[in-house]
Amino acid sequence: MELFDFYDQDRWPHVFCPGCGNGTVMNCFFRAFNEIGWKLDNTVFVSGIGCSSRIPLYINSDAIHTTHGRAIAVATGLKLSRPELDVVVFTGDGDLGAIGGNHFINGCRRNVDLDVICINNNIYGMTGGQASITTPHDFMSSTTPFGNKEYPFDLAEIAVAAGANYVARWTTKHVHELTKSMKASLAKKGFNFVEVVSQCPTNFGRRNKMADATALLDWFKKSSVRRDKARAAAIDHVDLNLAGQITTGEFVCRDRECYHERKGGKPHGDGH
Amino acid sequence: MRPGIDLRYCKGCNICLYMCPKQCFSRGVDLSAQGYFAAVVTAPEKCFNHDRTEKLICELCVLGCPDQAISWKPEPEEKEGKDGNKTG
Repeated sequence: MELFDFYDQDRWPHVFCPGCGNGTVMNCFFRAFNEIGWKLDNTVFVSGIGCSSRIPLYINSDAIHTTHGRAIAVATGLKLSRPELDVVVFTGDGDLGAIGGNHFINGCRRNVDLDVICINNNIYGMTGGQASITTPHDFMSSTTPFGNKEYPFDLAEIAVAAGANYVARWTTKHVHELTKSMKASLAKKGFNFVEVVSQCPTNFGRRNKMADATALLDWFKKSSVRRDKARAAAIDHVDLNLAGQITTGEFVCRDRECYHERKGGKPHGDGH
Repeated sequence: MRPGIDLRYCKGCNICLYMCPKQCFSRGVDLSAQGYFAAVVTAPEKCFNHDRTEKLICELCVLGCPDQAISWKPEPEEKEGKDGNKTG
């Protein structure tokens, strides 16, 4: 498959700002999808609201553009009613973590067979650069002009704790690793979560003296730490994230059974 | 193969300059028809894939380009096309 068999060339150039990381994720996703050999006719792309949620509209496939934050809820219903379809969810950090946070946690807990790709650009990019749940500490945004006093959410660690089958986090600087992780997540069953820390030069970089997309990529390069290395050095990786560092890598890869494969077990407390 | 920039799609973000480990690209000086200073392929002979036609390696520019503007072009037979840019 060529790139513009997968994406709709009539809609090009896309609406994303110059230097936006969403296009990089689109390239990497196309590579992974092509290598895994899925059919476009059998795949549904679900998205919520946000910059990154516009990606399914560019794919030559069926897509559901749902209400804000409810992408995982809709995708769960779709997967349970039509288990033969492959469902891929594209969301952003505000969509997945802020307004849809509970759907995300419970989706991980239920372990429905979904592939979720979260493009985390550290800010609410579409609505004008308000501080989101993933804005790092002491970073500027339009609602925190003296620096963000709050500490960010760590979406990938939440997914690990909530029981997702596959969790990885990369930045848009690590394109080959990201492609490999996306391929692994598509190949695995269960709730697979890939978080991509992406650059937003228009709303995040401009207010943080990184107005150039390359300056943001340089920041990713400097501040990303492999999670296994951080663990080997006995540093608490949560502290790294709170200090504005980005732990990258494959967080977890396990084989819990999916929701629709689960058989009824013996009820607990029979002996009483 | 050599990287070629599609001027219809390039938005001049210069991520290819940052991603390329061999400095094949340089900053554009002319406005494209879309109104951006599109990057130019100035040194395609430095590219890792210069002698390759299949099993391409690196590909950081193609994967990193957010506007899908960079694609692989075959090496030209003559030395006429100095930059790999496609006009249009």
